[in-house]
Amino acid sequence: MAARHRSWGQIHLLLACALVAAVLLSLSIGSFYFSPAQIFRFVGHWLGLAPIAPEEALDLNVFATLRVPRVLLCGVTGATLGVSGALMQGLFRNPIVEPGLAGTSSGAALGASTVFVFGNTALAFTSPLGTAAVPVMAFVGGFLATLLVYRIATLFGHTDVLALLLAGIAVNAMCNAGTGFLSYIARDPQARNITFWNLGTFTTADWRGTLLVTAIFLPCLWFILRRGKDLNALMLGEDDAAFIGFDPDKLVFRLLILNTLIVSVATAMVGVIAFVGLIVPHMMRLLRSSDYRFLLPASALFGALLMEAIDVVARIVIRPAELPVGIITALIGAPIFLWILLAYRRRIAT
Amino acid sequence: MTGIVLDQASWSAGGTPIVAPTSLAFAPDKVNVILGPNGAGKSTLMKIAAGRLRPTGGRVLLDDRDIFAIGAKELALRRAFLSQHVEIDFAITVEEVVLMGRYPHFARAPGHEDRRIVDAALELVGMSARRRQIYPTLSGGEQQRVQLARVLAQVWDDTATPAPRTIFLDEPVASLDIHHQLQILDLIRTLPARRCSIVVTLHDLNLAFDYGDRFVFLRDGQVQAIADDSVDISPNLIRQVFDVSATGHNDHAGKRVLRFHL
Repeated sequence: MAARHRSWGQIHLLLACALVAAVLLSLSIGSFYFSPAQIFRFVGHWLGLAPIAPEEALDLNVFATLRVPRVLLCGVTGATLGVSGALMQGLFRNPIVEPGLAGTSSGAALGASTVFVFGNTALAFTSPLGTAAVPVMAFVGGFLATLLVYRIATLFGHTDVLALLLAGIAVNAMCNAGTGFLSYIARDPQARNITFWNLGTFTTADWRGTLLVTAIFLPCLWFILRRGKDLNALMLGEDDAAFIGFDPDKLVFRLLILNTLIVSVATAMVGVIAFVGLIVPHMMRLLRSSDYRFLLPASALFGALLMEAIDVVARIVIRPAELPVGIITALIGAPIFLWILLAYRRRIAT
Repeated sequence: MTGIVLDQASWSAGGTPIVAPTSLAFAPDKVNVILGPNGAGKSTLMKIAAGRLRPTGGRVLLDDRDIFAIGAKELALRRAFLSQHVEIDFAITVEEVVLMGRYPHFARAPGHEDRRIVDAALELVGMSARRRQIYPTLSGGEQQRVQLARVLAQVWDDTATPAPRTIFLDEPVASLDIHHQLQILDLIRTLPARRCSIVVTLHDLNLAFDYGDRFVFLRDGQVQAIADDSVDISPNLIRQVFDVSATGHNDHAGKRVLRFHL
């Protein structure tokens, strides 16, 4: 067994190395191309090692204010969705859940939309929060939607797949209708902000938003990664988790809050990106194990890796224009979701 | 150290009483069998006694302390519970499931002793050869044996754990064929020697008489009788609890053997 644990660590290490490579690729490719040598010169410049040539000042500016925050936001969002998918599958005790399906993302989008439309009128009380009002309301919306789906899906003690799917469809439809209504009554600049949530994208990444998402994500991730044993115990069901010394109610509630927090804040920043939370943990389960002590860190790393790769594709596929990443993830993710669902139903049937 | 004692403990759901106020002490280091018809409140009574359901009236004590004042981790060292059926939808190996029984014993990574106990528990239920197999691919009977190994690993007889420890088993042989029923019950029979008190529900009365030391008869949430010897169990009691007629004799081993008819 000692060897098995070492190889979990080895997989994590391999994923981390691949992530570093993907980040470098993502830093260099786009409407501006930065060669690896140039990137190293920029880094050297920041470290005060070697000043750059004056003709590179514009490049440096683009790199520092546009490219770097975008790549960072992309990685954090991918890690958020990956770890969130694994976490929610653990909480629902079901391998087909993800934040898009369970209403977290669409609830967060609805919550964020309300600030754009009513921020100066009905929601004027949120104005002391300043720009933080958007993630705060995204969290409120995401949490209410997730709680509703969770309650319906686990109404009979165990997670009922049909109830889960139907509740997810209904709650998503409700939230999307709400967001659609808001974009319809909104005056122009607000409406543009709202519609982009249905097609997540990293083009709007700036340092302020990126740092906010990162600052919320890292402490939540630290706490979540320590709950691997607890999520394993929850596989047995709430009663049996309690019998081996865990408090399932407290556990589910706390993790649902943390999960909603990281997903909502990321969604408020980049919009709804579907299926990443489903595919990433699923591939990690196939790769090695469903043991959450392995799965949570692996999903965070692979989520970031996959997101960087998809964003690179989004930047180059219809150059010079860009494709919203949400379109690509849905295009790839929906068939994989159907495949997982069918495989799952077949196993249940036999 | 008195083990688990119910002190006028009762439980009702939405005003409907499921378990009437019950005072009961389980015989330490013995096999206590709870017998009763479907819906008698057997599972509820066990969950109250195990500290999972908070009684709506009365108390449950463990070594004279209120069981709900004891932390979940500490309680997990003192009692284990085998549920009727544990379904897992994830690809996880048999030994990882059994290792969960050791979770209350280690913080981050399992120690050498935890590994040894997992091995021994798997050996005891005859599932050592399947240790690397994926749990959901096992048959119902095999899954039940793996869960039993997990429960045994949790309260394994080691010097670190205070005795007496109680193992609750909710219909542990319900889904098994007769061969595996006897295998599991033989195993359960050996547990009191490991300083474990057993509380088990069974549907087959004759099996219960063969393997039990103390018999608690439950109907409509009320304890009807407690017998410490199966030969004391009368056809009248059987009629009162199960609504069936019984004729019986004592076999050469001094155990009660019953036949039933409506």
